Amino acid sequence: MSDPRPAATLLDLLARGGRRPDGGVRFLDRDEKATWVGWGEVRERALAVGGGLQALGVAPGERVALVFPTGPEFFSALFGALAAGAVPVPLYPPVRLGRLQEYVERTARMLEVAGARLVLADRRIKAVLGEVVARARPRLGCRTLAALPEERPDPPRVTEDDLALVQFSSGTTVEPKAVALSHRAVLAQVRSLGSFLADTPEGRDSGASWLPLYHDMGLIGCVFPSLALDTSLTLVRPEHFVARPALWLRAISRYRATVSPAPNFGYALCTTRIRDAEMEGVDLSSWRLALNGAEPVAPPVLRAFTERFARWGFRPEALTPVYGLSEAALAVTFSALDRPYASRRLERDALANEGRAVDDPEGLEVVSVGRPVPGFRLRVRDKTGRDLPERGVGRIWIAGESLMDGYLDDPAATAAVLRDGWLDTGDLGFLADGELYLTGRAKDVILLRGRNYAPEPIEHALEGVPGARPGCAVAVSWLPEGGTGEVLGLLVERRRGATREEIAALPDGCRAAALRATGLAADEVVVLPPGTLPRTSSGKLRRGEALRLHLAGELAPPAPVTPLRLATAVARSRWAYARMGRRGGDRE
Amino acid sequence: MTRAAILEGIAEVARRHLDWQGALTPAMRLVEDLRLDSIRLLTLAAEVENRFRVVLDEEDELRLETVGDLVDLLAVKLQAG
Repeated sequence: MSDPRPAATLLDLLARGGRRPDGGVRFLDRDEKATWVGWGEVRERALAVGGGLQALGVAPGERVALVFPTGPEFFSALFGALAAGAVPVPLYPPVRLGRLQEYVERTARMLEVAGARLVLADRRIKAVLGEVVARARPRLGCRTLAALPEERPDPPRVTEDDLALVQFSSGTTVEPKAVALSHRAVLAQVRSLGSFLADTPEGRDSGASWLPLYHDMGLIGCVFPSLALDTSLTLVRPEHFVARPALWLRAISRYRATVSPAPNFGYALCTTRIRDAEMEGVDLSSWRLALNGAEPVAPPVLRAFTERFARWGFRPEALTPVYGLSEAALAVTFSALDRPYASRRLERDALANEGRAVDDPEGLEVVSVGRPVPGFRLRVRDKTGRDLPERGVGRIWIAGESLMDGYLDDPAATAAVLRDGWLDTGDLGFLADGELYLTGRAKDVILLRGRNYAPEPIEHALEGVPGARPGCAVAVSWLPEGGTGEVLGLLVERRRGATREEIAALPDGCRAAALRATGLAADEVVVLPPGTLPRTSSGKLRRGEALRLHLAGELAPPAPVTPLRLATAVARSRWAYARMGRRGGDRE
Repeated sequence: MTRAAILEGIAEVARRHLDWQGALTPAMRLVEDLRLDSIRLLTLAAEVENRFRVVLDEEDELRLETVGDLVDLLAVKLQAG
């Protein structure tokens, strides 16, 4: 039975879920014991939480931050906030074993940016959120679900134009960007994803996932489509997956899941960490859509995964590279469902230096992420905004119903990426035969294990390392040719007059500083002579250009300074300052 | 279990699951000296739990900085359990 009127809000979806006995969420613990909560039960618990939130004074449209591990309480809190007419803001729980200070700072900042009125947290997590709450001071403090008043909610008046969800597009960052999504945007994305899912008498798709629920691919990609289809979703905790990746594949097999997404690194982890003994009796033949997105897809990983798990029934055509971003609510393109992944080999020099995609059988392999999903249009444009023909490498612009309203309360950042209904993704790529291929990024974003990080906090961390030249380091990440995932590189200028010992100790010092401040381990540290990194005319470091030069082996120090040259330069500089009518400048 | 045995157990986990090759001393810091990023910290936590058959709480484990802190925490847990 289908409703005559399409669902307009997430509350409509919630109201309609739970009509089928097999629709709901199955939570697996690390011993693979299952806890089942049907969608009807999810709704009942959500209404209880929603009533409690209203009784507490949470008003419609106010933001409620959620800090929970994957479990039934996350669902009660998420849908409870929606049932109260409020806007849920899922946040990262702390990582394990330390680095509390960095977590406190980051999370407090996110609460401020989201304008959270209240934090709902798991009992154990609440115990460590004290300092976060003391800093950000949400008006209604921090509560566990058990501490909410018991009330039924007054049904809120929520329209499709209202905010449905705020999600942060990156992890560690100085100024985290909060992506504000309306119900219309989220529902458009859910419909778009739904067009790839089957609900026929022969069978209905069902999901399995270990992805964090504070991440778009876990929440918007798995939870909402499962609710809309009133089907089952089996969840493994991300921390359990990382410790024992076999739990994911075993869950797919045991519950005959047909759809399961993960970023590239998840597939890579399976090929390296799963032992054959853990796969005993596993049958992956039900897995129809092995979606692969949120970070660049590495061809060697696709091959290794297919080869390794074919023995257990994994079908090569299940692999489906996709492309999306939080600003688009999630998916923008899907590759064809019925074929193994497709890739092209391209001439390296034309690609890197001329912005042209020229076929070359010996060239760099790039994987297709397919065509726009229903509801999306896509253009590849040059720097000036002109559309490029096929095979021209440029910035990817997208338009569609599921685009964000903007970054929350940040019109400047919003205007920088949203123009006339088109979003500048900051990603670089080209189209060939209508399919999109990603080749890099124009935006300064570190992309590791499916998560975005701003480079600035990493670079700031390097300031005090002995021997480093202050303000002269860039953090960049890229997918090395033939590699299995993006690597993090630090390109660091040494200080003028640094001692030999300081220079020798720089790589280790930089690694340790970056780890301490951001929890990210650098794969490569390159120490450069002073003045090597390219800058803009206003003196800002050009990260993209620095990376390009580094990969081309062209990152060279400036021409040696002779006494005559220096004298000329100083004279010119004085002349320039004199003309500007002011003296001096910043000394190094 | 003695503190030396706990330290040896942690070293075993580090060797087996984190490719740690050198010696492990209580003064070593988990993040800076063992070079553990968040994924590897998680692996260490999970494998230590498996090895010692304990469950660590967020409240305790987030305050850890060194290998010695982890030994102390496990000593308390093992005595209690």
